[in-house]
Amino acid sequence: MAAAESPSTALRRRDLCSRGIRLAGKMRADVVDLLDAYVEQQGLDASASVAAVEGVPLAAVERWDEQTGTQRLLENLAAYRAFRALLAQMLEEQREQLGEADAGLGRALAAVLLQVSAFAYHLEELLRLESRGIPGEEGDEEEEEEDGPPPPPRLSLFEQKLRGLGVLRELAQWAVRSVRDLRQLAKPSPATGAAPGLAESP
Amino acid sequence: MFSRWNWVACAFYLVLSICSPDASSGLVQSCGHIIPESPVLAIGSNFTALCILNESCLDFGNIYASQIIWKIKNRLVPKEQYREINRTVSSVTFNDTSSLATPLTCNILADGQIEQNIYGITVTVGLAPEKPKNLSCIVHQESRFTYAMTCTWNPGRHTFLDTQFRLRYRWPEQIFPDCIPKDVNNSCTIDDSQFFVNTEIWVEATNALGKAVSDPLVVDPIDIVKPLPPQNVSVTSGLLPTVLQLVWENWISDAVMTLKFNIRYRIVGDTNWMEVPPEDTASPRTSFSIQGLRPYTEYVFSIRCMKEDGVGYWSDWSEEKTGITIEDQPSKGPPIWRIIDTSQSPACWTVHLIWKALKPYEANGVILLYELTVRDKSPLSSPVKKYNVTSTNYTLQLREGTYEVTLIARNSVGPSPPSVLLIPASNSKAPVKNLRTLPKHDKLWVGWTAPNNYVLKYVIEWCLMSSSSDCIIEWQIVLGDVQGIDLKGIKPFKCYLITVYPLYADGQGSGQSVKAYLKQDRPSKGPTVQTKKVGKAEAVLTWNHLTVEEQNGFIRNYTILYKTIDGNETVVTVDPSKTEYTLSSLTSDTLYTVRMMASTDNGSRTGPDFTFTTQKFGKGEIEAIVVPVCLAFLLIVLLGVLFCFNKRDLIKKHIWPIVPDPSKSNIAQWSPQVPAKHNISSKDQMYPEGSFTDVSVVEIEADDKKSFSEQDLKPFDLLKKEKSTSEGHSSGIGGSSCMSSPRQSVSDSDEGETTQNTSSTVQYSTVVLNGYRDQTPVQVFSRSESTQPLLDSEERSEDHAGGADSTPQRQQYFRQNGGQDETNTDRPCFERTKQITHANEGDLVGFVQLQISGQSSQPLGLGMEKNTQEAAVSNVLQTCTEGQTVRPETVEENPLSVDEMPKSYLPQTVRQGGYMPQ
Repeated sequence: MAAAESPSTALRRRDLCSRGIRLAGKMRADVVDLLDAYVEQQGLDASASVAAVEGVPLAAVERWDEQTGTQRLLENLAAYRAFRALLAQMLEEQREQLGEADAGLGRALAAVLLQVSAFAYHLEELLRLESRGIPGEEGDEEEEEEDGPPPPPRLSLFEQKLRGLGVLRELAQWAVRSVRDLRQLAKPSPATGAAPGLAESP
Repeated sequence: MFSRWNWVACAFYLVLSICSPDASSGLVQSCGHIIPESPVLAIGSNFTALCILNESCLDFGNIYASQIIWKIKNRLVPKEQYREINRTVSSVTFNDTSSLATPLTCNILADGQIEQNIYGITVTVGLAPEKPKNLSCIVHQESRFTYAMTCTWNPGRHTFLDTQFRLRYRWPEQIFPDCIPKDVNNSCTIDDSQFFVNTEIWVEATNALGKAVSDPLVVDPIDIVKPLPPQNVSVTSGLLPTVLQLVWENWISDAVMTLKFNIRYRIVGDTNWMEVPPEDTASPRTSFSIQGLRPYTEYVFSIRCMKEDGVGYWSDWSEEKTGITIEDQPSKGPPIWRIIDTSQSPACWTVHLIWKALKPYEANGVILLYELTVRDKSPLSSPVKKYNVTSTNYTLQLREGTYEVTLIARNSVGPSPPSVLLIPASNSKAPVKNLRTLPKHDKLWVGWTAPNNYVLKYVIEWCLMSSSSDCIIEWQIVLGDVQGIDLKGIKPFKCYLITVYPLYADGQGSGQSVKAYLKQDRPSKGPTVQTKKVGKAEAVLTWNHLTVEEQNGFIRNYTILYKTIDGNETVVTVDPSKTEYTLSSLTSDTLYTVRMMASTDNGSRTGPDFTFTTQKFGKGEIEAIVVPVCLAFLLIVLLGVLFCFNKRDLIKKHIWPIVPDPSKSNIAQWSPQVPAKHNISSKDQMYPEGSFTDVSVVEIEADDKKSFSEQDLKPFDLLKKEKSTSEGHSSGIGGSSCMSSPRQSVSDSDEGETTQNTSSTVQYSTVVLNGYRDQTPVQVFSRSESTQPLLDSEERSEDHAGGADSTPQRQQYFRQNGGQDETNTDRPCFERTKQITHANEGDLVGFVQLQISGQSSQPLGLGMEKNTQEAAVSNVLQTCTEGQTVRPETVEENPLSVDEMPKSYLPQTVRQGGYMPQ
């Protein structure tokens, strides 16, 4: 696959990787800042332990270095699509709870949401360059609807806050992992070596 | 919306027009409408409107499409533009919508030419929007987390219509809300821009005539960021005197973008910024150490940043922060020089040591003191003398000799390297050569050629020359490899004296001086010229040099301009070193105007006019005339004297004839009593008997009423004619006196008058006691020439004094004399006169003339000046005349008469002694 890659495609991929790395870096920085603001604004303890958020693949993974590029991209894409939905829900809950009282937090959440969306777009583009089909979001949505987070009425306000905290923490970790994944993808040769893995991954 | 309002307005308008009370037709309903309704048209396009009548109105009002007329704003549209489509529809066509206006109305011309409005529309004319161009965006960092993207574009031409611009942007899978500009049509700001995603940005312009879309701009907003400048900049001093550390904070996180920086700095008070090499600050950082700074110097710093890869925009410069480096040892010794004053005595010097304070970058701190060491290098060396000085000069009293002066500046860190000045006993080394100057803008360049020997340093002294004050010396030391420097602070139009001394390792060369101007001007005044000496054809002009303040430049020459009142001006150029010039070839006795002009390289100035008049005679001309005349006169006088000397016997015979002594005469013998008897009593009292020995009685005419000129001219003529007759009328004492002068003869010869004036003729005489020119008075018997009659009293007194007895004797005596006069007594005198006449007959006329003039008005002494010979002759005559005119007046009776009496008579009488008692 890599051998058939044209120079423009390689350039494009490198550009997407580079931009994605920086976007992930900024996203992590913003999420970290947002976490502080969120904890403070929501009256939470920064050290509070939160259970894993449902519907979001864990950033920590075993045998990470054995993953193929496509696997990495697909896991990333799945994760960020999940984050996008969760952040959109958080933003809506935020507006419902606080209205326009804390526009700063809402703006920061919206900014992170945009970055998540942008990063998902980067991943999709990279998958296109890999000549891989992009998983349908609707199917995911269906899955999410089936297996996704429970509907809001079922969560108390505190639980919503805790879930939001969990989402942001996981996003921060994913941002770190995404940087590493994209750096791995940006390396020219290992992609070919990852081909066997690519076959295994699905 | 807009069209609906137009429709409502038109309908309202039509209803009003139809329902108007003025409507004569009485129609109360709308009978038609126009298509299109309220169109918006492009300028320049064609347009056709249709007016459609309602069928109901056709029957009711008998109106048809043929009766329709179109109006634009009450202006009738030409019928050529109408077209009747059918009986209910009329159209109007406009080839150019530029001529359209609002409203466009459809009207009916009913029966009786009554015009009824059917319908009206509003027409809007404008342009479709142009495609927006030159779209560009920049992302301004507004705070630590907020970035606003501002895009600008060129909206294109004015459309005359309400045109909406909207900035649109999107990600591939996400469209963001449009940015609609407020109050402007060429820029819009998106408050929340997201980085690291290529964003497609474009502008849409829309109005009623169309829509235009700009070319899209695809950009990652992170690449067009203008970040905020670094904040909280601070400057700290390091351990080194040449280093300062700059610390700051970045307001943009490395996660967003990494930055590179520019750092600039300058010395406080300096306007020129220096910059840290960009490659040294091309990586992200929050501090930087600036090296290579000057010790103890205050610097100003400023910093800016941009994305590390250089894509985007530089931030503004941060606020300026200052910092000062720590002190260091002075980097060099102060330049030192000396001025030696030997005015007191050549062997005893007053040495003024002067040095310049180190520049801040040389002092590297605050100079606390100067250490001065003076070492006598003579064989009999005295101990080294050390002085600690806080000022920049020091005066020493030294004996003539060779000295080595060392100067060290010291600050809180340490001493400077020493500056050494050798003061030799004499400046015997070679001087510089070819010293010259050249103005360079506001500086004066001084150049020289080095001597053959190796020179350590040169000292350049310069001072502003002034006529009123001493030259205040400024100086500068340059290294020996320099052969020219620029002098700063030189004032234009001022004269500077510049001296260059070469300093050798073992001595000092003599100074070479040159005068120079940075810039020259014409003199501020001209010389004042005046004459020192004026002759007939030349004049010596003199003037003073202009003072150095007045010169304003090098005086290249003086120009003298002189002219007569009506003549051409003559110009003479004079060397500037001169202060005197002689104008020659002038016209004598002429008024000249002269002025003088001093010239520099940059112009001239003329002094005041001065006038003088040349003399009429040249030098020596008067002497050349006077001296010969005087010499000739003297020669004549000398010749006359010589002549007189040679002829003295003859002259003496004529002038001082031998007068017989009456006392020895026979008369005295035979009539010894007569003189005493004849003495007037008063005179006897005055002059004792024996004081005079003789009395001459002269009988003259007392005709004083006539003027002498008249009186004398006649006898003068008679003298020529009746010479023989006149000779016989002389009178005198005993005929021996020279009373028979021509004058007397003339007088006597006028017998007619004499006869007539017999009664007035008085004979008188007196003895005058007087001295000649302060000599001891001698008793003189003098005769008055006055012809005034004696007073009766005198006559009577004389008569009385003479007594009755004496009178007849006297009369007899006179009569005898008179008889002798008429007969014999005149002969000798006549003969003598005749002898003179023979000797110099040609002078006789003049002789007589002189006699006349002498008698008429003036003393005879004046006549002496004319001709000595004539004078001599005239003396003869004068003596004779005196003899006739002696007047017997006394001093007491008429004291004034003594003064009035011509004195010349007396000395002549005395000197000649003709009447002195012998």
